[in-house]
Amino acid sequence: MSDPDELLRIEGVRKAFPGVVALDGVDFDLRRGEVHVLLGENGAGKSTLIKMLSGAHTPDAGRILVGGEEVRIDGAQDAERLGIATIYQEFNLVPDLTVAENIFLGRQPRRLGMIDRKRMEADAAVLLERVGVHVSPRARVRELGIARLQMVEIAKALSLDARVLIMDEPTAVLTSEEVDRLFAIVRRLREDGVGIVFITHHLEEIAALGDRVTVIRDGKSVGQVPASTPEDELVRLMVGRSIEQQYPRERTDTGPALLTVEGLTRDGVFHDVSFEVHAGEVVGIAGLVGAGRTEVVRAVFGADPYDKGTVKVAGTGLRRHDVNAAMAAGIGLVPEDRKGQGLVLDASVEENLGLVTLRSASRAGLVDLKGQHEAAARIAGQLGVRMAGLGQQVRTLSGGNQQKVVIGKWLLAKTRVLILDEPTRGIDVGAKVEIYQLINELTAAGAAVLMISSDLPEVLGMSDRVLVMAQGRIAGELAADEATQDAVMALAVSTHGTGAPTDTGTDTHTDNDVEKEAPRGH
Amino acid sequence: MATDTLKSTPGARGASGGLRRLLLDNGALTALIVLVIAMSALSGDFLTTDNLLNIGVQAAVTAILAFGVTFVIVSAGIDLSVGSVAALSATVLAWSATSAGIPVVLAVVLAVATGIACGLVNGFLVSYGKLPPFIATLAMLSVGRGLSLVISQGSPIAFPGSVSHLGDTLGGWLPVPVLVMVVMGLITAFVLARTYIGRSMYAIGGNEEAARLSGLRVKRHKLAIYALSGLFAAAAGIVLAARLSSAQPQAAQGYELDAIAAVVIGGASLAGGTGKASGTLIGALILAVLRNGLNLLSVSAFWQQVVIGVVIALAVLLDTVRRKAGATPVAAGAGSPGGRGRQAATYVIAAVVAVAVVGAMSFLHDGSSGTKTQKLGLSLSTLNNPFFVQIRAGAQEEAEKLGLDLTVTDAQNDASQQANQLQNFTSESLGAIVVNPVDSDAAGPSVRSANKSGIPVVAVDRGVSKADTAALVASDNVQGGRQGAEALAEKLGGKGTIVILQGQAGTSASRERGAGFAEGLKAYPGIKVVAEQPADFDRTKGLDVMTNLLQAHPDIDGVFAENDEMALGAIKALGKKAGTSVQVVGFDGTPDGLKAVEAGTLYASVAQQPKELGRIAVDNALRAAEGKKVDETVKVPVKVVTKENVAGFGG
Repeated sequence: MSDPDELLRIEGVRKAFPGVVALDGVDFDLRRGEVHVLLGENGAGKSTLIKMLSGAHTPDAGRILVGGEEVRIDGAQDAERLGIATIYQEFNLVPDLTVAENIFLGRQPRRLGMIDRKRMEADAAVLLERVGVHVSPRARVRELGIARLQMVEIAKALSLDARVLIMDEPTAVLTSEEVDRLFAIVRRLREDGVGIVFITHHLEEIAALGDRVTVIRDGKSVGQVPASTPEDELVRLMVGRSIEQQYPRERTDTGPALLTVEGLTRDGVFHDVSFEVHAGEVVGIAGLVGAGRTEVVRAVFGADPYDKGTVKVAGTGLRRHDVNAAMAAGIGLVPEDRKGQGLVLDASVEENLGLVTLRSASRAGLVDLKGQHEAAARIAGQLGVRMAGLGQQVRTLSGGNQQKVVIGKWLLAKTRVLILDEPTRGIDVGAKVEIYQLINELTAAGAAVLMISSDLPEVLGMSDRVLVMAQGRIAGELAADEATQDAVMALAVSTHGTGAPTDTGTDTHTDNDVEKEAPRGH
Repeated sequence: MATDTLKSTPGARGASGGLRRLLLDNGALTALIVLVIAMSALSGDFLTTDNLLNIGVQAAVTAILAFGVTFVIVSAGIDLSVGSVAALSATVLAWSATSAGIPVVLAVVLAVATGIACGLVNGFLVSYGKLPPFIATLAMLSVGRGLSLVISQGSPIAFPGSVSHLGDTLGGWLPVPVLVMVVMGLITAFVLARTYIGRSMYAIGGNEEAARLSGLRVKRHKLAIYALSGLFAAAAGIVLAARLSSAQPQAAQGYELDAIAAVVIGGASLAGGTGKASGTLIGALILAVLRNGLNLLSVSAFWQQVVIGVVIALAVLLDTVRRKAGATPVAAGAGSPGGRGRQAATYVIAAVVAVAVVGAMSFLHDGSSGTKTQKLGLSLSTLNNPFFVQIRAGAQEEAEKLGLDLTVTDAQNDASQQANQLQNFTSESLGAIVVNPVDSDAAGPSVRSANKSGIPVVAVDRGVSKADTAALVASDNVQGGRQGAEALAEKLGGKGTIVILQGQAGTSASRERGAGFAEGLKAYPGIKVVAEQPADFDRTKGLDVMTNLLQAHPDIDGVFAENDEMALGAIKALGKKAGTSVQVVGFDGTPDGLKAVEAGTLYASVAQQPKELGRIAVDNALRAAEGKKVDETVKVPVKVVTKENVAGFGG
């Protein structure tokens, strides 16, 4: 029954960790020259499955066949030998080495015991050409943006002669422009006969790129469907129930302005940013990555300084660059980098939930541990954080539950203005909806929400008003009913007639209407 | 079917499972218990109340320092300055109470304030100056040490009597340092678990940025964290000095590394976010048990260091292994009240089992303690110098000849380590102790306690202050200094410029030789001393210091080095000048020194006879142990060795 086109087959694989069964009977196969999408909620077992293919875990039961023969993958070397390369969300690159050195790390071509730089750089240039990225092999990896890092990772995989390329949510951190380029590369690889395992949470990408889809739920493969399957059906397979509405925004009557930002400027980063957020209102900030959205909200929250302008909460001005003043006024920030800035990963759920209220729960320097515990239990129940107990390490929670913990700590502090920076990045559909419901509850209770998102349907679906930022300025404001994808994108790429940096396009655009160049931030 | 067994349910395990779990969860505790059992099995003197209290005392200073460092490490920092700050605080206390005449209470406050101030400076440099903690505290390590030398002018200062009680015992058996350690440990545990600053430490150590964005005032917290570390260092310094009844500017050198090791052995991660007071205490106890046990087992001083290093690595390795093995996605301590009760029960079971095993071990040794051969102990200040190695050689030869069991320990020039070793000797009930004090004042309390136990003590090379010694076997350093001055001055014809390389600041040998040399030089007004610099009795430092001095004074005619090692370093620096245009005089008459005399590069060495010192000391110790009469001072002749008489001279 061995199909000459079949690169990889997994049969009935099972893997248990102490206390958890991560995979319980997964079947999967990959053919030469196809993009096979692996779909599933966070925690469904996708990561365990790909770690099994890259040699980080070995299965407890079941078989893995490569090219029709049963294999054991005991480590990265085995995977490499079998031609399986994995590109994780967190890149495995050394920042201070050059692109060429990273591509050939540990396998640098040598002559007389010395590294043959000339040959290495020439070889790297060929690989980079193949993935279609214009970057010097001598450039330091630290200086590259995320999209280019990803291209370097792909070049590295190609240098290993990979026949199977596993990509774990490669589009999660890319702008739509960069996504298009990535797709072009993936298509070219597919034509070359490489089999690609593609993990994504963006359902629209499946139809655009995929050939087949395997859906994993609770450690089991629950179905294999063609990529043309309607999104509703995919969601139903993935979640196990149908989701009524993806963006369940319930508008409430808006009250007085809670957050007022006037003429906020930080030289070279953002200029003359003014807006208001009213009680009971969700204001979305759209824009390309690097437009200065995160920088503005961090300045509003006091995490970074600004040069000019004012920030007021309910009419009272805030001190510049003072997180505690912002907090005292009732502002909370759910940062973009959940793991790096939002959570103490090795601490428990309880401790993370109590972080913001730690000070107010202390009397004479002593923390009211019992009160903190009760508050954490209450809010965790209210938010429906799925965990083994309040003592569970936050690191081991799924992305959606981690985000609930970050939001929860601000809810405990009675936050009136909640700033959400990419609140649903890397979170599965089911958990997304729960977070949207939370936003609804907040605004219904009279709080103001300011939400940055690169996910256009999300901004459009959840915001009452949309601010669009381009090159550090507010390019325009759209009411909910006039905000369409086209209108937002038109504003997002608008320039102010200044010599906007134009990145000479490295590939042609296939389907998009506007020329969108994303000047990357810092 | 087979795979189903993987899903073992935790409830199925009984009490023994609970014990296993406890030990697995506490790698350091396991290591400590294993060590205690092993030591009890190997040495009959280990498991006595006295000795266990000794271990407590010996762990106290490290533990108190380590408690302070725990705060810093939990918050993902590091504090290298604690040893120096401890010495500085103790010096400030002693100096202000004695030299400056400030009331003792105020002096104590001043000492504690000094520690806090040093910590605040560290904290300021780290949080506002944005220096890496390693660098900021490394700088403070040097500054603290330097200031304590400046204040004390390099000599130990006697500690005020009332504060010295901190080194005594309560009710005749409970040592105060142990009490202080326990109290400081409880404070640490309380601060870490219950207070705002303590909880903040974990958050800052776990993720500083997340803590900042959650409204924690990270910079201010860091100030407080380093200040706490400084405060604990001050407390440790006071306890250390109280034990020795003397504040030593060179005390607690390298203790910061012991403290850090204790914290890490106790399960904290240098990456921050984890660590407990109980773990740190266990870590400090492991180090103390190890040092104590190795002393009792008469393990060679050199091997002791190897063993200690290996055990530190093993203890941490054990912890890493069990974390890998026992890592479950669900973190422990999800604390339902029932779970906590069970945890307490397992602790009790663990304690009972440990006590039972240890008790059984001690029965094994009941008969074996009464050995017939006379047992003697020799505590040397250092073995890092051929002179003392020669003393050891002489002592060991003599012991072998007389059929004695001689245990030799190396205090590594650390007065408090020597106090520990003497204490261990005392609790072993040796026949007699030979001590070569690191510092005469600091050895006093330990020798007094040996006196109290009726063990005769013979001092060798240096005397012991304020305690009874059966005999002092020494060469006359002052006389030697005089003779050295005479030899050098005569060779130079009574005129010329010379430099002096001094020994380690604060040691009696350096003081006495220097004083004798200065005295001897008075008779030769034509000789001018253009520079006096310390090179710590060390050959490498002698080379460096001499090289530097030659830059400033290229035309010198002579060099007096307070020992041969420095003289040999100086000769290297002088190159061809040595023995031709520049005359070098050393001190000690070590084999290397004598070779240089033979070669003509070293003009003369004021030779002691270290082997003789060792031999005569052991001889006298045996006589004292047998209750025979011994002379109070035994002078071993000192002799200026030059090329003419070197042939007839051999150690």
